[in-house]
Amino acid sequence: MFRWKATAAVLAIAALTLSGCASSGSDSSNGDGAKGETLTLGAITEPLTLDPAGAEWGNRSPYYQAMYDTLLRATPEGTIDPWLATEWSYNDDNTELTLTIRDDVTFSDGSALDADVVVENLQRFKDGTSPDASYFTYVDSFAAPDATTVVITLTEADPALLSYLTRDAGLIASSDAIAAGDLATNPVGSGPYIYDASSSVSGTSYVYTANPDYWNPDVQHYNKLVINVLADATASLNAIKAGEANVVKVSSNDNLAEIEAAGWTINSNELDFAGLLLLDRSGEMNEALGDVRVRQAINYAFDREGLLEGLEGGNGTVTEQVFPASSAAYNEDLDTYYDYDPDKARELLAEAGYADGFTLSMPSSTILGSTVYTLVEQQLADIGITVEYTEPGSNFISDLIAPKYPASYMTLEQNPDWQLIQFMVSPSAIFNPFHSESDELNTLIAQFQAGDEAAQDDAASQINEYLVENAWFAPWYRVQGNVPSDANTTVEMLPTNAYPAIYDIYPTE
Amino acid sequence: MLSFIFRRLVAGIFLVFAVSVVAFFLLYAGGGDIARRILGQNATEETVALKAQQLGLDQPLITQFWNWISHAVTGDFGVSWFSSQPVTTSLSSRLAVTLTLVIGTTIVAAIVSVILGVLAARRGGWIDAVVQFVAVIGFAIPGFLIALYLVLWFAVGLGWFKATGFIPITTSFTGWLSSITLPIAALSLSAIAAVAQQIRGSVSDALSRDYVRTLRARGLGMNRVVYRHVLRNAGGPALAVLAVQFVGLLGGAVVIEQVFALPGIGQLTVSATSSGDIPVVMGVVVATAIIVVIVNLLIDLAQAALNPKVRLS
Repeated sequence: MFRWKATAAVLAIAALTLSGCASSGSDSSNGDGAKGETLTLGAITEPLTLDPAGAEWGNRSPYYQAMYDTLLRATPEGTIDPWLATEWSYNDDNTELTLTIRDDVTFSDGSALDADVVVENLQRFKDGTSPDASYFTYVDSFAAPDATTVVITLTEADPALLSYLTRDAGLIASSDAIAAGDLATNPVGSGPYIYDASSSVSGTSYVYTANPDYWNPDVQHYNKLVINVLADATASLNAIKAGEANVVKVSSNDNLAEIEAAGWTINSNELDFAGLLLLDRSGEMNEALGDVRVRQAINYAFDREGLLEGLEGGNGTVTEQVFPASSAAYNEDLDTYYDYDPDKARELLAEAGYADGFTLSMPSSTILGSTVYTLVEQQLADIGITVEYTEPGSNFISDLIAPKYPASYMTLEQNPDWQLIQFMVSPSAIFNPFHSESDELNTLIAQFQAGDEAAQDDAASQINEYLVENAWFAPWYRVQGNVPSDANTTVEMLPTNAYPAIYDIYPTE
Repeated sequence: MLSFIFRRLVAGIFLVFAVSVVAFFLLYAGGGDIARRILGQNATEETVALKAQQLGLDQPLITQFWNWISHAVTGDFGVSWFSSQPVTTSLSSRLAVTLTLVIGTTIVAAIVSVILGVLAARRGGWIDAVVQFVAVIGFAIPGFLIALYLVLWFAVGLGWFKATGFIPITTSFTGWLSSITLPIAALSLSAIAAVAQQIRGSVSDALSRDYVRTLRARGLGMNRVVYRHVLRNAGGPALAVLAVQFVGLLGGAVVIEQVFALPGIGQLTVSATSSGDIPVVMGVVVATAIIVVIVNLLIDLAQAALNPKVRLS
């Protein structure tokens, strides 16, 4: 009996060794020829659902973009190009957007795209539970006057609407599949790839095959697409080093040197800013924060270069603005508005009547690590502010916007201007939980909304100036997001999204 | 015998039920704003409220529990709040991965421990010293560290095995082997350390007993005595330790699954628990409880088969 077991063990070991040799290098993609064989992507998070009505963009965009088309396309150059919609135009007061829809597109279930399907999808997104459902806040109605025309009527102008249609809000699924009711796990779109449910493991590995009838084969660079969830930093580094992926979004910037040493190219953009949100600008919860000098003092308290070096290994760019460098609102001079100057900070606090300092309560989150909270505590203690942390656990965001804290460390997305204003500046913005406002700011926001492009740029830069001068935030730096790619794969990053578009990843010549 | 099995099964069902009730209310007590967590920082209050309503979170806790348990008894564990996947679907695919790891590790550990344990007990001397040393090392070095080195050498360096991911046996047998070998190797060491020590102790204890001397005196060869008689007696305690290892591995596989990006139960549990995906956590809890009940039952039966002195009733 035991001799048999021993023999089996020897056989098993032999089989393992052989299989190891056989399997190595079997799933790398080839870079020659017009089309690559398999593109394997690494993502840091899984999709919430495969139904576009519940979709989210950012790091989850490739799952959706693979199988659905959007109405418009965001390009690496920062422009908005035609996609399912070939043309678009606004009426005079920017409250009515008319789109012309392609008539040569079929979904992978054989049904055809027309204006009615588009309207059905847009309405579902508006009524659905996508985290971005608020994109259609200003929409009054959707209409399809004929088979190739869609009209979106707004209650007031929304300068970000076109940008939204390049993202989750613009995803279009088959009407038949919507009626079937199982889009969440059985998605049907018109995109470059078709979801292969039987080969996929939800939460781990998503497999797609090329759509043979795709209307735009120019952007269909591979025969097969695999997206693996690599949430663990070690796992993603191992996948990179073992050549088990072609493109991987990394969640930490700690291993970039090692990734480059493995022969990979680092592709980067800077989307988020990290720093303090000084939310209680009227001093409702913490009287001291209501004084602009106190908020300015907090801005002077931070050694931004040191924080960038210490927390991100220098991968990023120091900033004091919440508007991204790509925005017309961005003003280089403002990045030196508050140089690191603890003396000046203490002076300002004294002027404001807080010579003996005060206590500031803020939330902390283990997800964001402990180093950052210690550093914030130290730097603020240095100017006399005592930080009192509480840990709201998984209610971090709900508590922040409830609002239960006057200020917090946070990283927030630096969206295109109007989106950014809607997200963290306007009185109803979700990250303006105390509804801070001023007449000056409200006027500027209104000017932006109603104006043409030049007026918008002008208003945005004035808004930016206002936010910096009045110290609404204490930004430290823009965080570098990295999407390394192997030698066989070329990636063109999008300036406005955490993950590059599927269309912009192709075999290296 | 049959009545023993029946009684154990009934007790098992009660255990699973009790575990479900406790888990459900504990999870909700620590719950909070789940809809907000699902939707993230971009969602507005209206969308969050709509999501909570869709998930039935606006209903009283007892109603929610009733909804859950009345479906669960029919085998319907609901749908994941975060992936929209039916819980039973993700459980079954992930159980396959984790059970492969755990059963594989248990088999490897059992075989290697018996060989090492018997060698150490019979030969003594330097072999014994080496086995003891390996056992201490196995206890001292955490599995994930071993895993990292194994990946570095055999997957990244030599390219013999896969560094991440899982290939089902139905897709490719060699692929399957190459995806599970390193994780099993990493998990096995500490299990071997525990069981080999146990076997060494029981075997050397049994070897000094009178019956061994009697058997030897009757002219039986040493191999025959050890494998036919001594191991039978030593097997009981070893099985008990192995069972503990098995149950421990169900939880202990978490880190290994993370390092190798394996779609197992451990990884599912961690992500579901940290995000608050209660339907999935409940599914995992129930499945794990059932497995533990079954394993314990099987161990009892195996003990009886090994040693007729163990009376089941």
